[in-house]
Amino acid sequence: MPQSRRTFIRNSGIGLLTFYIGGCEVEVTPEEARQQQIPFQVLNPQEVLTLEALGNVLLPGSATAGLAHFIDHQLNASPQDQMLMLKYLGVNPPFASFYSGGLAGLDAVAGTQHGSLFSEMREEQQLELVGQIARGNPDGWSGPPAAFFYFVVRNDAVDVLYGTKQGIEDLGIPYMAHIEPPSRWGE
Amino acid sequence: MTLPTERVDAVVVGSGAAGSAIAARLAAGRKKVVILEAGPDRSNDDLISSAIWSRRLKWNGEPVIEGGANPVGHVFNAGYGVGGSAMHHYAVWPRLHREDFQMRTLFDRGRDWPIAYEDLRPFYDQAQLECGIAGDAEQEIWRPPGEPYPMPPVPLFTQGEIIANGFEKQGMKTAPLPLAVTTNNYNGRAACIWDGWCDAGCPIGALANPLTIHLPVAIEHGAVLQANATVTRVLGSDSGEFVTGVEFVDEAGEKKAVMADLVVLAAFTVQNPRLLLASASDKHPNGLGNSSGKVGHSIMSHAAALVYGLFDEKTNCHLGAFGGQLVNQDSYRKDTHSDAGAFGSYQWMIAQAVKPNDLLGIATTRPDLFGNDLHAFMKQAAHGFAGMTGVIEDLPVAENALTLNDQTDRFGVPLANVTHTTHAESKALWQAALEEGQAVFRAAGAKEVWTGPQAAMHIMGGTIMGDDPADSVCNDFGQAHDVPNLVVAGAGLFPTSGGVNPTFTIHALAARSSEHLLANWNSIIQ
Repeated sequence: MPQSRRTFIRNSGIGLLTFYIGGCEVEVTPEEARQQQIPFQVLNPQEVLTLEALGNVLLPGSATAGLAHFIDHQLNASPQDQMLMLKYLGVNPPFASFYSGGLAGLDAVAGTQHGSLFSEMREEQQLELVGQIARGNPDGWSGPPAAFFYFVVRNDAVDVLYGTKQGIEDLGIPYMAHIEPPSRWGE
Repeated sequence: MTLPTERVDAVVVGSGAAGSAIAARLAAGRKKVVILEAGPDRSNDDLISSAIWSRRLKWNGEPVIEGGANPVGHVFNAGYGVGGSAMHHYAVWPRLHREDFQMRTLFDRGRDWPIAYEDLRPFYDQAQLECGIAGDAEQEIWRPPGEPYPMPPVPLFTQGEIIANGFEKQGMKTAPLPLAVTTNNYNGRAACIWDGWCDAGCPIGALANPLTIHLPVAIEHGAVLQANATVTRVLGSDSGEFVTGVEFVDEAGEKKAVMADLVVLAAFTVQNPRLLLASASDKHPNGLGNSSGKVGHSIMSHAAALVYGLFDEKTNCHLGAFGGQLVNQDSYRKDTHSDAGAFGSYQWMIAQAVKPNDLLGIATTRPDLFGNDLHAFMKQAAHGFAGMTGVIEDLPVAENALTLNDQTDRFGVPLANVTHTTHAESKALWQAALEEGQAVFRAAGAKEVWTGPQAAMHIMGGTIMGDDPADSVCNDFGQAHDVPNLVVAGAGLFPTSGGVNPTFTIHALAARSSEHLLANWNSIIQ
């Protein structure tokens, strides 16, 4: 059962995701969704593994904070309700192919260069490969432009870790909301 | 509110700055007004302080296909829902300068406006009193003549003090940034608390957006506002001499029409010409109001010159307004950087409040950093970051245009193509501004200085006004040359862009048009 638009909007704004599990609506943060292994709606298991590994290279801690669930949830929403930064970066919806294409490209290059999936590479290899895609398309890359894909996912990771009340206050900056989200991401 | 079934005096397409300002004036002038807004309804309760949430205020309608070397950034710059793009605008409200209105006569570039600064001056004064602007007119030595601001200027926070010191060392001046934001209680509106959430929408009424200023006035005077109503066509008379209303699709997908004596298109720079072109008929085969062939031409977008620095001092960069604290217009003279092959004006918006994330957030200023380096940068920048943005004039280029695509949207209306490549002299001006800005930051004592890529800020042109019906779409009141009871409002009317933010000029033009429409109503709708 799709959640109502109002529920989606309300919850996205405060950092909660709504899932329909066992006949009930369950509201959790991205971090809780990850801990509870809540099923993904759009991303497949391999894409989740690759995305979380990429997120942890781009911004350590972002996978634990629920990066994959955050993106999956937004991709499952109607285009009008999506809150991904990608929406105003010149890409028209639907956005799922952007992420699946980029993640597949990353795994393909990982296979060419190291004979393994990105998530199975050693940390220093992952760092080196992410440095490559930040500069442009490595040989064998397919999908959206590699540097743009890097830019987008990096900013998604920043959203999850530093775009919340918790994240902002962790930087020592007062949140000072007019209409304050009642919960931080990750609570 | 229920839409009237009978013919109304005016239907206004779009509820943003221009549409709401005209609707309020017409309704206050005892005209029966309907406002149709393509996006959802909004109230102040929807304006949650979150950079992620704020993305809902950006364009969410039918896709726009962008091209050219410097795309206009439509989704980021446009708005969606009641209040339009003004719901996420930063309320930086400087005036255009006298010379901006005479670009062809004085500089042999672009076009002259059909009006002079003196024609618009009383309406700038009227709009600043109505909407409330905080500033210091005497300190703004570059400002053309006008009434002083009705509110004292924005307070200066540490980030502003630090950068101002750099300007001073370079022999340059700063003044408080003119902001349509309350610095004290103003007409019952609360004073701003300088939290930097302007981009997410201001729910306390401190920032002059349509929900705060004009929509309540329009509704109080009987205007009917219908959200989720996407206009698909402007309807015309059999003779083609006047328009009769608009066709729209409501939230349920039902096609309906509002018949009106006057049609006002205020659906932003892109949707206005798209609708005109899509409303072609036997009498207007190239598009409504397009006998000149100029509908969609001369699309402009200011290039943003982004300059950043890290300082040892604590900058308190989270405090203030999203638009900034100070302004500098030392480079407003069109030939200031002519030795660099540049031409045009720019201003600096100085010391903008920043958040960690989003397109204009701290993290995005250093896209090269990732991993632990990014964490380290964020911790440092959260306290020592400073930034400013140059608003660079975009000289008009005929090829920078909106056309219709072969693809149609779900309602059968062709999608818009928008192509934009920055004029070579404007590009050179952007480069010169970046060099100047970096020198200012180094003089201010920044330990690191860097710049951002060229970004698109504001979208103008496409339905330009002028005296010559063969070379422009509208007259100086926004009336289509071909169809006098069809009015276009907004920045699409601008023949040239100037080097300042457009919203104040949009309001002044809307006030001037409204006065003209009410004073000449019978002859216009005849």
